[in-house]
Amino acid sequence: MSYTSLRRTGLAVRGLPALLMAVALVGACAPGAGTNSSSGSASGGTAGCGTSPVTLNAYFETGFDLPFKLSAEFTKQYPNVTFDIKQDQFTNLINETPRVLASSDPPDLIRLPTMASFAKEGLLKNLDAYASGFGWDKWPVPQLTQNRVTKDGTRGSGSLYAMGLNYSLTGVFYNKKLAAQAGISAPPKTLAEFDDDLAKAKAAGLLPIMEWGSAKSGMGLAFPLQALMASVGQVGPINDWIFDKSAATIDTTSNLQAAQHLEQWIKKGYFPSDINAIEYTDSNARFTKGEGVFTFNGDWENADYDKNLSGSTGFFVMPPSQAGGNPAAMSAPLTYGIAANAKHADCAAFFFNWVGSNRTARQIDVTVGGSNPGGPAGASVPSVTAGSITSETLAAGNVIGKAGTAMDFIANATSSIFAQGWTPELQKMVGGQEDAAGLLKAVQAEYQREIAS
Amino acid sequence: MSTGTRRQDAPLSASGLSRLAWLRGDGVVGWLFVLPALVMYAIFVLQPLALTIWYSLYRWDGFGVATWVGFRNYVTVLTVPDLLETIFNAFRLAVFFSVVPVGLGLVVANVIHRVASGALGTLSRTVLFLPQVIPLVAAGIIWGWLLALSGLVNEILAAVGLRSLTRAWLGDFGTALPAVGIIGIWVLLGFCTVLLLTGMSKIDPALYESARLDGAGWFTELRAITVPLLRQEIVVCLTVTVIAALAAFDIVYIATGGGPGHATAVPGIQIYILAFVERQVGLASALAVMLTLLVLAIVVPLQWFSRERV
Amino acid sequence: MRPPRAELYAGRAFLVVLMLITIMPFISIFTTALYPSGTVPSGLAWPADPQWGNFIEAFNVANMSVLLGSSTFIVVAVVPVALVMATMAGFAIGLLRIPGSRVLFLLFVLGLTLPFEGIVVPLYFLEQQMGILNTRFAIVLPLIGLYMPFAVFWMRAHFVNMPAEVSDAARADGATTWDLFWRIHVPLARPAIASLGILMSVWTWNQFLLALVLVEDPLQRTMAGALGAFQGHYATDIPLLCAGTVLILLPTLLVFVVFQRQVIAALLGGAVRG
Repeated sequence: MSYTSLRRTGLAVRGLPALLMAVALVGACAPGAGTNSSSGSASGGTAGCGTSPVTLNAYFETGFDLPFKLSAEFTKQYPNVTFDIKQDQFTNLINETPRVLASSDPPDLIRLPTMASFAKEGLLKNLDAYASGFGWDKWPVPQLTQNRVTKDGTRGSGSLYAMGLNYSLTGVFYNKKLAAQAGISAPPKTLAEFDDDLAKAKAAGLLPIMEWGSAKSGMGLAFPLQALMASVGQVGPINDWIFDKSAATIDTTSNLQAAQHLEQWIKKGYFPSDINAIEYTDSNARFTKGEGVFTFNGDWENADYDKNLSGSTGFFVMPPSQAGGNPAAMSAPLTYGIAANAKHADCAAFFFNWVGSNRTARQIDVTVGGSNPGGPAGASVPSVTAGSITSETLAAGNVIGKAGTAMDFIANATSSIFAQGWTPELQKMVGGQEDAAGLLKAVQAEYQREIAS
Repeated sequence: MSTGTRRQDAPLSASGLSRLAWLRGDGVVGWLFVLPALVMYAIFVLQPLALTIWYSLYRWDGFGVATWVGFRNYVTVLTVPDLLETIFNAFRLAVFFSVVPVGLGLVVANVIHRVASGALGTLSRTVLFLPQVIPLVAAGIIWGWLLALSGLVNEILAAVGLRSLTRAWLGDFGTALPAVGIIGIWVLLGFCTVLLLTGMSKIDPALYESARLDGAGWFTELRAITVPLLRQEIVVCLTVTVIAALAAFDIVYIATGGGPGHATAVPGIQIYILAFVERQVGLASALAVMLTLLVLAIVVPLQWFSRERV
Repeated sequence: MRPPRAELYAGRAFLVVLMLITIMPFISIFTTALYPSGTVPSGLAWPADPQWGNFIEAFNVANMSVLLGSSTFIVVAVVPVALVMATMAGFAIGLLRIPGSRVLFLLFVLGLTLPFEGIVVPLYFLEQQMGILNTRFAIVLPLIGLYMPFAVFWMRAHFVNMPAEVSDAARADGATTWDLFWRIHVPLARPAIASLGILMSVWTWNQFLLALVLVEDPLQRTMAGALGAFQGHYATDIPLLCAGTVLILLPTLLVFVVFQRQVIAALLGGAVRG
């Protein structure tokens, strides 16, 4: 049956035994695997939460359990630390962040979907001292470079201004039952195979791809677009553009090819007809209820998919256009930062360190957050249910890590490139009011306008 | 009575009365009465208004240094197509929010006046007014749900055999703005209807009687008697609804967020995004000033029009 | 003289249809709220197994007791103060006809047409300087100021129509201005004050933009202002979202149904006297 053949060919099988072996080995040998990381373990790392009562002022995104569960566990282990958590919907969070950071009682912990401009303006705490103190700069987590910002606001190098609670991975989730119905026997290995699969799904009367696109959640087509960009082209230039490196442009030949490919998918009716009105949560609800064979999303949805489509969801990273090439994927830290004038910065930094190194925290990271917890080499490897979607994404994450093809999200290039650039322009492309070339030109123009101001 | 005596003594004019009041020291006390309201108004309305005009002449991100740019922000608003489009969208919305509720309101009020003066009339009044009372964001959420691809509107269309017309009304470029307009009609129709009805009750019934005796149908009655005599009420209706359209924020923010593309981007939302997301306070303020001027430019002549033949 | 029978029936049918269209969204939201959590119902059908518990769950999860408290606090802080200030000002401008009345009146009227967007940006920075940002006073104080145009206008319209005999008689008996105001005219103005109070309460409860911009914590906003955060949490769970929306609608809806005559009179009276 298709499921077994998937296991024969896919990353799942190759990754799973390796993972289980790794658990066995590391679990047996890692020093201190069963203890909490102590506050003073790193040289010079005296930052901590002390023993007197501390209330951390936090600003989280509504609808994502991970930081709430992590903070609850932290309070359990360190009872003198409590959290005063404010939460807001994604769009409101983005809109409020500049003001919140500049206010007189800024947060000690804040979710930062974008952070470069805030770092440049001095609104975020420079974490270099904590990084060297706790040893974060030695963590084998390449995605942390995405949180480094130079003095002129370029990312990818410079001082560290934010940490990740975990390190996500995006790719293509698929509904195994519907895939079987469409006659799709294995995850595609090349872009051409993926195109064939999509055509098969359409021919079988199914919706090939479920995605979201309302202005209220932002345009989800940015995910398949970027996946296509990395499939047909190089990852480097894309990251340069996201990191605001000078003379970077999104309007390149290979990106145009990718955008035209997406345009073809739109014209062939591979996406829902009402995508411009579908919100993020609706898209996931509809996918788990069986509408859509594939969906481009990230591993933060693992818990949701496992619960609602349990045993029936599969995952693969977007295949490259050339057979045997390296797959690439968006993989970014779940970025959280500390406000420059935060009152309890030391304690917040200690929390970050705890998340990456504490055994229970790491387990929560994987179970609730679905993503790789990062952390120092030799840290405890959280257990994963065999055959769950999380085991597939963790394994795929390892592949991407080794290939060095992790990208940040094109939506994060500037603070409003998503709301003012990608979202309206992609919506226009869906509505037939703009073509691929126009899309890239418009977004590049918007990008340059925002960088200049 | 002493009052009567005084009245016979000297017919006091309005200015005479206030001079008298001033002489009695009423002026000072009177001004003390006005002061609290004036102070609150001045601090929280007039001062921000002046500041908006002031900010619009600068380029500022909200906490850094502000640079003087004169009228450059205004030029930007008038030349950047996306920004100018918001103003056109506001006018398009005004057609739905204003023209339809007033026109339809006249018809409905006329109908109630003619055929439903009893309990049905009172019930209609109450029911039609209900949407006015709920938060606009609730209206946005409810209609966002009704207008979705799987929502009630499409269900009804399919049930009456118009399945080909079904779509995601708020996600479709052609229908997003009209769909938001429909929400506005739902919210504002009751206001106009009840207002016009109240005005109608002040019209001398004898006029209607004689018109009916002459055999006038409901449309003639509307055109010849009702509309001319309801001038003041119609102007009020137009004023309130035009302001609602030009300054629209709540409904659009909740229903579409300004999308798809820039189809429902209205000045209110654009000002919010420019000021608080893109942190271009100067540009946002320029757009806000232009919006205010636009509102005044439409509303002031309207008032004058209503007073002309009083 | 009655209109022809055909018109009678057509007209009444038209009204009934219009009423149904107006009410349909409310009914739809209500019936949807009763469906089991997590389903995606559509239409007006009454569910086979009404989940009245959804309302309780929405109430708890959205922290509505806190929201109710927050909204009530804001209403109680805004409305009485605004009423007192506006009544005093309306009295001075409309009845005492103090020198400069005309100018003052026009100044207030200017505010009637002002869109909130015209002042919300500087208001944010102003409040930041005053240190009241993100508190409930961030909403309370500007609202009082913003209500002054309509409220002063409305109270002045009432006082202007007061016959002079009443004041003259009181003066003759040696009443001071304050006595005139407090002992004589305020009791007489009670209906006008009541309508205005109800109106401002409804407006305050429904306030969204100011709450969104000036208060960061959704739990410190008005009920309408917190709706955004609530919606984000429940977009997947339609019945719960509908239950929450119904709960948010309910207060103002009930106030209207109970006080409909005063509410309508206040809105229309104030509007027409322009």
